[in-house]
Amino acid sequence: MSPGMRPQGRGRLMDNPRTRVFILLAPVVTFFVVFNTIPTLWLLGLSFYNHSLTSGMPPEFIGFKNFVAIFNGKNSIWFDLSRTFTFVICGVTFQTLLGAALGFLFWGSKNMPGRRIALTLLFAPMVLTPVATGTFFRFIYDPTFGVLNYIARDGFGMAPIDFLGNPKIAFWAVLAVDSWMWTPFMTLMTLAALGSVPKAELEAAEIDRVPYLRRLSLVIWHHGKFIMMLGILLRTIDSFKTLDLIIPMTKGGPGQSTRLVALELNKQSFESFNMGWSSAYAVLLLLISIAMTSVFIYVLNLRRRKEAEE
Amino acid sequence: MTRLRATLYYGILWLISLCFFAPIGWIVLSSFKTQNEILAMPPKLLFSPTFDNYRALFANDGIFKQIANSVFLSLGAVIVAVVVSFLAAFCFSRFKPRGTDFLMFLLLSIRMLPGPAVILPVFLMYVAFGWKDSHLWLLLFYAMFSIPFSVWILKGFLDGVSTRYDETGLVNGGSWMHIIFKVVLPQVRPGLIAAFIFNLIFVWNEYLFNFIIGGVNTQNIPYALMVGTYSDGGLNWTFISAMTSIYMVLPIVFIFIFQKYLLVGMTFGTVRGEV
Repeated sequence: MSPGMRPQGRGRLMDNPRTRVFILLAPVVTFFVVFNTIPTLWLLGLSFYNHSLTSGMPPEFIGFKNFVAIFNGKNSIWFDLSRTFTFVICGVTFQTLLGAALGFLFWGSKNMPGRRIALTLLFAPMVLTPVATGTFFRFIYDPTFGVLNYIARDGFGMAPIDFLGNPKIAFWAVLAVDSWMWTPFMTLMTLAALGSVPKAELEAAEIDRVPYLRRLSLVIWHHGKFIMMLGILLRTIDSFKTLDLIIPMTKGGPGQSTRLVALELNKQSFESFNMGWSSAYAVLLLLISIAMTSVFIYVLNLRRRKEAEE
Repeated sequence: MTRLRATLYYGILWLISLCFFAPIGWIVLSSFKTQNEILAMPPKLLFSPTFDNYRALFANDGIFKQIANSVFLSLGAVIVAVVVSFLAAFCFSRFKPRGTDFLMFLLLSIRMLPGPAVILPVFLMYVAFGWKDSHLWLLLFYAMFSIPFSVWILKGFLDGVSTRYDETGLVNGGSWMHIIFKVVLPQVRPGLIAAFIFNLIFVWNEYLFNFIIGGVNTQNIPYALMVGTYSDGGLNWTFISAMTSIYMVLPIVFIFIFQKYLLVGMTFGTVRGEV
């Protein structure tokens, strides 16, 4: 084939409905099968085996014993799950409320001098390396050398607080850092949501002297709710996955007070190398995340269905 | 009066931004202090800055390699991911093959799983095939992990581009290749940039995957920080503050330059103009 013929040949392949779908999807499907489908099947299989990389014994089929151990063992999954969901619910609620409030505050500041720099400073926590943030916050929280204790002691005359060493406080101290990192994300989502409200409708509402609260529910919420819901869902998912922020701060301790599901799985699989048990644990997390994905898709489709009706 | 109110309003906004930035500012300040000044009580706000920490940082040979790894992995993975995702998203948006919804669902579910659960079977597979500690395979895994979010963002933007453009192009004798890359691609640029930035920042800051399926060769900075290679197990605060200050420059520059695309990107294509 002469070089000049090539574009035409490729073009012809793209004109056939079957081949063009195949060509466009082939890369993504290849990636997906190699890095996801095969490993997931591997994981499912392994969850029925007793397989420890440190014992040197060949894997042994034990049926559902791994799952039974996870639910009934000394460190039952229920404790980790309830701690994780407390973390998710408290964190996401706080971040959404504060983030949305800040979003509304920043909404009317189009003419602010240095707005772009101010927003960059505000968004900076969320692009910081979580490992570095966690490590440095251990210093900020330090009972002897930390800034926070200095403020508490000299400013308010309080006794030194061991933020990360006290099992009652550690969980909330970690949650505070998580909120500091991710409140700006909810502000970003709020700004995006408010940006999707058509200006014409807002002006119309203003001319008609619609009271502010009704304007909020009728115009702003109507247009912005889709993006807000997306933001809350993304934050819920990421919060459920929290790992590398906590490891450098507490490693899940003191005791088990900051041990979320991701930390426990990380410890069992890559420190103790209990591969069978960890696979079963991962399968359970997979089921939970499939349930969360379904909620996500349901919300997205609500919008699509509504558009079809309109 | 209104002038005063505006000043007050802007002042409050600036104050909020600075409050959020304060801990980061503290990290940057600390990077110019000596070890004694960092640990001083009461904390020192005024001191004579020293560049010794940065000098010590770059005296390590490993640092340059780790930064190079960070750059190579994040850029490479995200470029591969955005190209692959764009093709797939175009297909999902225009031709709607059977099983589109199911595939989109599967893609998203990867993104929902906690890191260790994703990497555990991949780790076993990489060990079995001898793919561990290889730049190429780590890059491909990162690309896979960046695909779902990119497909979702791009599909939203592509759905917003009217199919009339495609039809006009076809009627005028353009091939599909021409339509995809010359007609449609330029119109979803905000989506492409948003997908690029979000995934780049993710891979840039990622530690677990690099730690588990990478190794000494592919080590990036978060990995080095976590295992405390040079930082005495994470207690050498001068090292950590200098390292962090250097490492956060790129993402912060990115969110400054591409700020409007971040906002537009998070609307998943529902807004085409300025936010």
